[in-house]
Amino acid sequence: MRVLVLLTVLGLVLAAVPRHAHAADRGLAGEFMCQCGCGLTLANCTHLSCGPRDQALAEIARLEGLGRTRGQIRAAFIQQYGEGVLAAPLRRGFNLLAYWGPYWVIISGALAILALAAAWTRRPKAVVGADDPGLTAEQRDLLERELSNLKD
Amino acid sequence: MSEVGTLAIGMAFLVSLYGLVAPLMGVGLRRDELVRSGRNAVYATALLLGVASAALLYAFVTRDFGNAYVASYSSRDLNLLYTLSAFWAGQAGSLLFWALMLAGFAAIVVWRHRALRELMPYVIAVLMGTTAFFTMLLTFVSSPFARLPFPPADGSGLNPLLQNPGMFLHPPTQYLGYVGFTIPFAFAIAAMAARRLDDEWIRAARRWTLLSWFFLSWGVIFGMMWAYVELGWGGYWAWDPVENASLMPWLTATAFLHSVMIQEKRDMLKVWNIVLIVLTFALSIFGTFLTRSGVLSSVHSFALSSMGPLFFGFILVTLAVSFILLIARLPALRSAAELDSLVSRESSFLFNNLILVGAAFSVFLGTVFPILSEAVRGVKISVGPPFFNQVNVPIGLGLLLLMGLCPLLAWRKASPKNLSRSFLIPGILGVASAVLMLAVGITHPAALAAFALCVFVTAAILQDFHRGAMVRRSHGESYPIAAIRLVARNHRRYGGYVVHIGMILLFAGIAAGAYSTEREAILKKGETVSINQYTLRYEGASTYPTQSALVTAATLTVFNSGNQIAVMTPQRNIHNTHEDQPMTEVAIRSTMREDLYIILAGLGEDGTANFRVIVNPLMMWMWIGSVVLTLGTVIAFWPERGEALRNRARYVVEGP
Repeated sequence: MRVLVLLTVLGLVLAAVPRHAHAADRGLAGEFMCQCGCGLTLANCTHLSCGPRDQALAEIARLEGLGRTRGQIRAAFIQQYGEGVLAAPLRRGFNLLAYWGPYWVIISGALAILALAAAWTRRPKAVVGADDPGLTAEQRDLLERELSNLKD
Repeated sequence: MSEVGTLAIGMAFLVSLYGLVAPLMGVGLRRDELVRSGRNAVYATALLLGVASAALLYAFVTRDFGNAYVASYSSRDLNLLYTLSAFWAGQAGSLLFWALMLAGFAAIVVWRHRALRELMPYVIAVLMGTTAFFTMLLTFVSSPFARLPFPPADGSGLNPLLQNPGMFLHPPTQYLGYVGFTIPFAFAIAAMAARRLDDEWIRAARRWTLLSWFFLSWGVIFGMMWAYVELGWGGYWAWDPVENASLMPWLTATAFLHSVMIQEKRDMLKVWNIVLIVLTFALSIFGTFLTRSGVLSSVHSFALSSMGPLFFGFILVTLAVSFILLIARLPALRSAAELDSLVSRESSFLFNNLILVGAAFSVFLGTVFPILSEAVRGVKISVGPPFFNQVNVPIGLGLLLLMGLCPLLAWRKASPKNLSRSFLIPGILGVASAVLMLAVGITHPAALAAFALCVFVTAAILQDFHRGAMVRRSHGESYPIAAIRLVARNHRRYGGYVVHIGMILLFAGIAAGAYSTEREAILKKGETVSINQYTLRYEGASTYPTQSALVTAATLTVFNSGNQIAVMTPQRNIHNTHEDQPMTEVAIRSTMREDLYIILAGLGEDGTANFRVIVNPLMMWMWIGSVVLTLGTVIAFWPERGEALRNRARYVVEGP
């Protein structure tokens, strides 16, 4: 049940996050890598004069002018430059490892912590100083504050 | 002077090798004089690398272009400050800089922690072993003192991208961070080797980790500032492999700084803390490996070389030695306590660690995925900003949420009363702020969630601080005095809170990026372009030479809702030594609300100018957050009175 809840929450969070949440991702220029070798996207290429970038941006503008959809432009670029032109790998096959690997790790870790915590908290523990010291709620509150401020 | 430098580096290599072997032999043969000798080797190595560094600086200042390194990274028209910063502009110089700082840190450690007699032989061995690796590279692979057979009349000059004040700050702080992580690593290895797995090593390691974390934080921040003002694409973080390499050890070190509290408080997570320290050190070296090897294309390509395999081998040896030792000491690293409840500060810190390490893994996987893909599928792919943003935004939001939850949960077991007392008001404020932001039109889901969480965390921190001050006030202190004494009584806790406030400001600035706007325009003289409330009028361009470059500056008058507010001059420079690499100098007008960022993308022969204009909201808050983060780290680092007294007592008892 807990797994389902976690997965649902994660799914909701992922669904809530737009595909292009960063300032750098401005339209399609943020989706394609510049082919000049800078290792950055067309939107981020640091070269002031960059032939490959300008050529690619002109190609995007031309295809947009022809009424091509984003998907069609993406397909045209993949056909021309290969899959490496995409700044984010396609969500399929082996690439899913990159997309879901971190979440698998985090969810597995969370489940491990939950299991460990459940096992530990079920064990009977020696009770030390369990007698009620007879403090009022306010005194207990004050003590808790003082203790937490004493050393943390 | 080159001969002096070469000799000093060669001797530093030999002495650091001796410093690796002598203390270990001293322990094995029970001969204290060998350990003392190893300690002296640390000081000698620092001195020798100091001499080598002075020789290199002398070569730069005297324009000794017979030195290949000086000829490659400086020129006669380069001003003195950039000439000095050219020390770390290339590979050999930055390796020397790294080795110098490592030896300097090692000397401080040996002097400062001399009372830790059982740990020090191993600490010295690890520090000197690492120094030996770097001095070996300097001696046999990449020397900053190599001579040219025919010295040129002038040097090639410094890469124009590096001619920025950030060059003085970004590399040194970044290296100080990376290098500093060697110290906690050395203490962790020493604790395992000496079987001294009590709190002694963790105290030293924690402080050095905090210091290194501080330097690395500023290395990353200065890098962001440098990218923002120098690279000219309007952003500060491009998820470049080398940027990612600096983020990974930062994340694991942050995890350690949190989980170490659980070890100190509850004697738990001993194995985990050692793993985090080893990972942090290995990831620091991995960053250098990425910078130097060129296995991934990067904006930091000015520092490529063929020494990648050596770094990779060093990482493997480090990991192998560390984990063999760890496995051997597992029985002694058993936790003394267990979790009492899932709803407690301990367990929330575990989740915090999980998220931080998960984030580091996510960045690592994304960074190396092109290599994995090529190896497995034979297909070359790219992993850029869209991927990292998709994967890391939810993780970042989770981290932000835990930043508010962790510090306020009670140790051992949080009662329902503790939960409502700590989170009711911040929770209400967080939800209310989300509703308010929706009402004013902030609908971007991730940004909305981030802003609401920022409000929640800030409210939680301020509420806890206020309550602490009120408790002291009930003892008769005035509120300001109570607040000051509260912080003075517990530097770590409240310093940590201030760091969190700094991080919240950073998160807010990052989230605001979702609302940045951009326009491109080709303008003739007198024409205008509008973006948001701004109107920019192009007044014309002028070209003039400076000492090192030919500058073309375009002048724009900026109006805000019809009122003239500024005249801005974005530039396009052609440096004398790099004529094939025209550089943009952006014009930025910063206010607390937003940055107006103008790039002169090009000039047409018909007198037109091509501009890219970007409005980045809340940018200044990121830099303010960085300052707040510094303040918090200084507070947390400042020794508390009890700690200072303990140190003094130890000094008096054990002697210098």
